[in-house]
Amino acid sequence: MSATSAPARRATKDVRRAPRFPTLHRYLMVLKSGRGITALVLLGTLVALALLAPALFPGGYDEQSSGALAGPSAAHWLGTDEFGRDILVRTIYGLRTDLTLIITAVPVSLAIGTLLGLTGYLNGRLGLFVQRALDIVLGIPGLLLGIMIVLVIGAGWFALFSAIVIAGLPQFGRLARAGLLTQQDREYAVASRTLGVPRRTVMVRHILPNVVDPLLVTAAIYTVAAIFIEASLSIVGLGINPPQPSLGALLNTGARYVQTLPTYVIGPGVVLLLLALAFTLLSDALNKAANRR
Amino acid sequence: MTITTPSTEPAGSLDTDLLLDVRGLQTHFETQFGIVRAVNDVSFTVRPGEVVGIVGESGSGKSVTARSILRMIHKPGRVVGGEVLYRGQDLLGVSDKEMQALRGSEIAMVFQDPQSALNPVMTVGDQIAEALIVHGGEKKASRARALELLEQVGIPDAPRRLDEYPHQFSGGMRQRVVIAIALASSPKLLIADEPTTALDVTIQAQILRLLAQLREDLGVAVLMITHDMGVVAEMCDRVVVMYGGRVMERGPVEAIFSAPQLPYTADLLAAMPKLEDGEEHRLPAIPGAPPDPSRLPTGCSFNPRCRFAEDRCRESVPVLTIRGPEHSAACHVTGDGAPLTPAPPAEATAARREIGGEPLLEITDLRVDVNCGRGGLLGKADPVYAVDGVSLEVRPGETLGLVGESGCGKSTLARAIMGINPVSGGSVCIGGQELGPKDRAGSKRIRETVQYVFQDPFASLNPRRTVRQSIEEALEVRGVPAKEREAEILRLSERVGLNPLHLDRLPHAFSGGQRQRVGIARALAAEPRLLVCDEPVSALDVSIQAQIINLLSDLRDELDLGFLFIAHDLSVVKHISDRVAVMYLGTFVEIGDAEQVYSDPQHPYTASLMASSPKPDVAQRDRERIVLTGDLPSPKNPPTGCRFRTRCPIGPLFRDDRQVCIEQAPTLTPTATGQMAACHFPGELAAPTA
Repeated sequence: MSATSAPARRATKDVRRAPRFPTLHRYLMVLKSGRGITALVLLGTLVALALLAPALFPGGYDEQSSGALAGPSAAHWLGTDEFGRDILVRTIYGLRTDLTLIITAVPVSLAIGTLLGLTGYLNGRLGLFVQRALDIVLGIPGLLLGIMIVLVIGAGWFALFSAIVIAGLPQFGRLARAGLLTQQDREYAVASRTLGVPRRTVMVRHILPNVVDPLLVTAAIYTVAAIFIEASLSIVGLGINPPQPSLGALLNTGARYVQTLPTYVIGPGVVLLLLALAFTLLSDALNKAANRR
Repeated sequence: MTITTPSTEPAGSLDTDLLLDVRGLQTHFETQFGIVRAVNDVSFTVRPGEVVGIVGESGSGKSVTARSILRMIHKPGRVVGGEVLYRGQDLLGVSDKEMQALRGSEIAMVFQDPQSALNPVMTVGDQIAEALIVHGGEKKASRARALELLEQVGIPDAPRRLDEYPHQFSGGMRQRVVIAIALASSPKLLIADEPTTALDVTIQAQILRLLAQLREDLGVAVLMITHDMGVVAEMCDRVVVMYGGRVMERGPVEAIFSAPQLPYTADLLAAMPKLEDGEEHRLPAIPGAPPDPSRLPTGCSFNPRCRFAEDRCRESVPVLTIRGPEHSAACHVTGDGAPLTPAPPAEATAARREIGGEPLLEITDLRVDVNCGRGGLLGKADPVYAVDGVSLEVRPGETLGLVGESGCGKSTLARAIMGINPVSGGSVCIGGQELGPKDRAGSKRIRETVQYVFQDPFASLNPRRTVRQSIEEALEVRGVPAKEREAEILRLSERVGLNPLHLDRLPHAFSGGQRQRVGIARALAAEPRLLVCDEPVSALDVSIQAQIINLLSDLRDELDLGFLFIAHDLSVVKHISDRVAVMYLGTFVEIGDAEQVYSDPQHPYTASLMASSPKPDVAQRDRERIVLTGDLPSPKNPPTGCRFRTRCPIGPLFRDDRQVCIEQAPTLTPTATGQMAACHFPGELAAPTA
């Protein structure tokens, strides 16, 4: 029987056979939706712009020209700022700052938050304690949390990074715990345990893959929130140290000249919105891909 | 293939006393894989005051038929043909507004799950009154009528319960409320979609009795959709058998049960284990699985599974032809007058088992607190003993059957044996060694002796892992070297009857029976000596149940396995068990030799369980039934003395002099007939079927 079935198995093209990497396959489904493609194209353009900034504008973000606060012209599409620096150049460098920030901070927050949420698998009491601690963090408004962090470690890139990481922990932690609690009592997890599969393997093989979906979707949504954390802290002057630009910092100073030079706010504002839009669309598409069976 | 099959019977003569006349109903679902003909040319009639049953397995189209009648089919489904004549008026032709007026006031529906059919944030009284108000009732009068209806469906203390919410009612009481809502505007026809499937045997008996009584008192006709032949035999006047979206046989219930004209009906009846069955035999199972409605076989849908199939069965769809008074069937073979010979008993297993040797499982005075470890940071939750003082033993080759209603603690017992739930008192010995507090689920000592077969095979398989991966995981734990696993997987899948070509599929691509085979293969991969089967067949279609039961008993005989077989279906347990234990509210009320317990139950609960379970035999419908009152009490707060006394038909509820039942808890003691029963008055209430 086994001798005949082995070649036969290879010969049959079984349409219902599972794909080799089911999780990856599911996420590639993102590419099949209009939203997913729009998000990826938009995000790709923004990332490419940010990456190419030094090549496109070799002068850097603080190259000055003769006129300060000049209106839009062929040389300076969005005009120049109060020190005569090109606003478009500063916006793109600002985008670069923001992208670096969220691309490092959000995954760190996701990883730490998930680990904190899963502590309950090691020890029930520890898990409960961690949740209460996360609840306290959740109780503090984001801006206040940011200000507290800045007070402790001083304004700058690292303060923003910490603020984004810490503000995200409760979301990821609670979601991971909710997933853990439902998944560990699922019959297939129980079935593996009664077979004697080591707890670690049950965790990695049966629980984690089923918790990952909502976490990834949330990470994409949280990225949007992270962009606005950066912006709001920079707007109140607690963000990136000048002269380095960030989208929030540009908005902060641009707001002062909104009457005389509206493009100062519009430029960074539009880029900020496009970035947020890209991540919102991406989270939508991920959500759809995760929920299809 | 015939495209449309005009009924060859005298087409609906203008029978004015027909309440419902469904003619050539067709409902299609347009899916991405093409058109699914869920209901394909279905015709039947219902007369006033009659109970008509539609029986069929999953995917047979019975529920879609019911919904099509009430025009409750949603996209992508669509009724594409036929007529639904209600008192001569075609329901498919009336406007939505008229249909809305008819629903409830003329035709009402009772759903399977009373929990989801009721609105949790509205009182029961308001929900019943709402049904009246939408049909133009006045507020105050509606409330009075709601009270009247609650009393009519047998809810005790109705004036108080009128203002309670659905969660304050038990499952059986909720179903009564749903029936009360359906009856609100005095409909002439009640469509009941599996009205008792979600309920326990004793509660099912209550609801069936209520429906029979309502039909007598109010003259309401009932269209009963069910998969349970027993319910059909108890309740129905006429039966419609559906398979693959078509009516395959219909006729008076006596004719269908005594002389079925369709191989499917005959084999289905033969495949059901029966309480009366004598000595051990294999069930004549129907091979294969019910067809997927999107990929029906050509010709007769049943032909791939039929013992009598001929070439013409594969080529053309049989039409319904008359076989007797009001009895018609769609079968080429019996249409020519060929007799339906009884299915040959499936070949007996070669291996003869011997019960004996050291017990594999020995439990003494086990108590399990299901609230153990619950509670917040401050303080513990109060203990709830779902299993309270249970002792049993299982030897190699032996099957101990465990029956009881939901909530009696039978699953908790099984989970405690597997180490999933911690033991709070008493001892569990597996393979001669007592489990210590360190032996959690999956510890070496447990897993090498005991494995678990789950009730719902779909839930117990990780949806993201292929069947091969699921079985391989078990081999990996057993320590089979990677090179030998492939051969072992093939051997196991062959042993349980799985196609090795399908091993790389995900669980959702399998039918229920196939999934249960995967579950069994995985359990066997650990090479256990004892299998704990927790309701292994209750999630399966009737025609599949027999296959799995046969497989399990073959495995037991060949491998000398011990079984702890848990089920709520008494006849299934009787069929497979050597000894039977009856569980009620955490304790055993009776335990003994299966034959002995079933033929001569000594505990009143056992006797009433047997009397309540519906029997697929029309001759028995008028038997005396003991229908228990009330519901299972909560294990949080069990009654003092005998735990069964609050429902016992021979207890202090009916006899004032029996104070002993309130004061003293009976213990399991040997009775005159040989088994053990925990009752102060054993043997007093005999099962009427004995």
